[in-house]
Amino acid sequence: MYSIAIHGGAGAVPRATLSPQREQRYRAGLEAALESGYALLERGGSSLDAVTEAVRILEDDPCFNAGRGAALTREGAAELDAAIMDGERQRAGAVASVRHVKNPIELARRVMEKSRHVLLVGPGAEEFALEEGIALLPNLYFRTPERESQLEHEQRGERVSDLVPPGLGTVGAVACDAKGNLAAATSTGGMTNKRPGRVGDSPIIGAGTYAKNGVCAVSATGHGEYFIRTVAAHHVCAAVEYRRLTLEQAVRELLHDILRGLGGDGGLIAVGHDGRIVMDFSTEGMYRGARDSSGRRELAIYRGDAA
Amino acid sequence: MSRPRKIPSAYLSWVAASLLCAGPLRAADHPLVIVIHGGAGVIERSRMTPEHEASYRAGLGAALDAGYAVLERGGAALDAVGAAVRTMEDDPQFNAGRGAVLNHDGFCELDAAIMDGTGPRAGAVAGVHHVRNPIDLARLVMDKSPHVMLAGAGAEEFALEQGVTLVPESYFITPQRLRELEDDKRAAAARAPTTPLPIRPGGGPKGMGTVGAVALDAQGHLAAATSTGGITNKLYGRIGDTPIIGAGTYANESCAVSGTGQGEFYIRQVVAYDVCAMVRYQKMPLAEAVRAVIHEKLRHAGGEGGVIAIDADGNYAMEFNSAGMHRGVRSSTGKREIAMYAGAN
Repeated sequence: MYSIAIHGGAGAVPRATLSPQREQRYRAGLEAALESGYALLERGGSSLDAVTEAVRILEDDPCFNAGRGAALTREGAAELDAAIMDGERQRAGAVASVRHVKNPIELARRVMEKSRHVLLVGPGAEEFALEEGIALLPNLYFRTPERESQLEHEQRGERVSDLVPPGLGTVGAVACDAKGNLAAATSTGGMTNKRPGRVGDSPIIGAGTYAKNGVCAVSATGHGEYFIRTVAAHHVCAAVEYRRLTLEQAVRELLHDILRGLGGDGGLIAVGHDGRIVMDFSTEGMYRGARDSSGRRELAIYRGDAA
Repeated sequence: MSRPRKIPSAYLSWVAASLLCAGPLRAADHPLVIVIHGGAGVIERSRMTPEHEASYRAGLGAALDAGYAVLERGGAALDAVGAAVRTMEDDPQFNAGRGAVLNHDGFCELDAAIMDGTGPRAGAVAGVHHVRNPIDLARLVMDKSPHVMLAGAGAEEFALEQGVTLVPESYFITPQRLRELEDDKRAAAARAPTTPLPIRPGGGPKGMGTVGAVALDAQGHLAAATSTGGITNKLYGRIGDTPIIGAGTYANESCAVSGTGQGEFYIRQVVAYDVCAMVRYQKMPLAEAVRAVIHEKLRHAGGEGGVIAIDADGNYAMEFNSAGMHRGVRSSTGKREIAMYAGAN
């Protein structure tokens, strides 16, 4: 069975404050990413290409906190993090704190495929992008009026808007292709009003992103510092591999026992070795979607939404 | 699924009584242990002059004793690992702080992380150029910010806000590291851009690896710390495993680990966390878990390096699959050992 799941961030957007128009935009964005990723799998493409494609589309959509429309730092700039991992060969690539790369997930993939390194950060990562022939864009490209006003409100100490709330938006995808190869990808602008230089869990292999064939692939979203301290994505894989928990049990334990116990919230999507998808969260909602070759197809935001 | 067994309350009171009879469990009943490393790599006796060997031993000894002194006066494992790592950062022989290796563009970019096994709390910095003791800045990130990891210019901005004095890039650069960079640039012509860089702690006067420490204090708390300049001739902006919680540095209530080696392999395999996961979930003795990770998993993937690890009972391991690893251990049982080659020496 081949399958793909995506998320557009976990966050407690109270249902009452999400306007129908905006909900429609989120659903359309999720659907576009899910369908493009799935179409690749359907044509016999690799899980690695499918997650790259799905995340790239979410990065380009200003609704989501990644690429264009990313949350802004306290100085008003977008600073982007992304990671990708290939479960087949356990290769990985990641970038952190880049300010001028349109699709950080593609740069992360280049780091994996064209460099000897796993993680490049800041101006050094952008230097590598230029060497790879990737054009840089002004930081203005990423900033949207919604994010600018969100930052203003946050800095005035107000919490508003029906956008993904500060700190909890991130996009990601996991997939299992027809050959049984797993892959995971995650991309984010991090927290609104974050300190420049802050790196969250998304580009940290083992924290926000992990994939290992025969076990599972995971992409997380939420309060990044907690996901780093608990080595969240790898924790799920280790629970499945070493303790023989089911993927559902491993995900539930992490989100509802361990993270909650520490005071952290968020969600994650995971795909098992057999292509089965698990999506769970401890927040009120998580923008998410899943599709597999045995007919599962869903787009959802809140708990109990899946239909 | 097995159901939890009911434990008769009579049994529980017997256990409690026998604990009481054994006398009050004083905090000091925990052994004090600190283990350090100063890098793994091509460390062979045949390539080491007696002067260099003596100098490394002295450097390791100073760090070991600085960390142990903290434990001995009742200090926290967290402070002990910080003190040991800071001592090696200030020693230009080691690849951390002053004397760190140079990147492709000819300057130092320093990474460090510290983790408190209770909490768990963690702090890390990556790609800093002007902070004399990156391990102290990592500690400040943990203690004074809501974040775990800060990178580059933003990390240095935070340092200034915390009252840390910045130093010029020239402070870190030594003639030895400049020569190594030139040597590696000549060798690099023959390498594909994806070939992993060699870890170069040569015997003789060549570069040295990452530094790190793990410790157990009188309260039974564990901590881990690691600091590095990375790998000679690395790309500007490259981050290795050292500041990645779970890869090069990890601690929880039952296990603490610090790694040194080819960082990309450590990141992909989440080495430090994997050791602790095998101890906790597969009920493996620490030494066995460390051997499995270093000699089977890491070697199988083609990675070279080592780790030091300690558990809550004070069991420790210093394991590497490279020719050698600079290392040392000191404990309240009177043990004080410093070694660098394979075998006990």
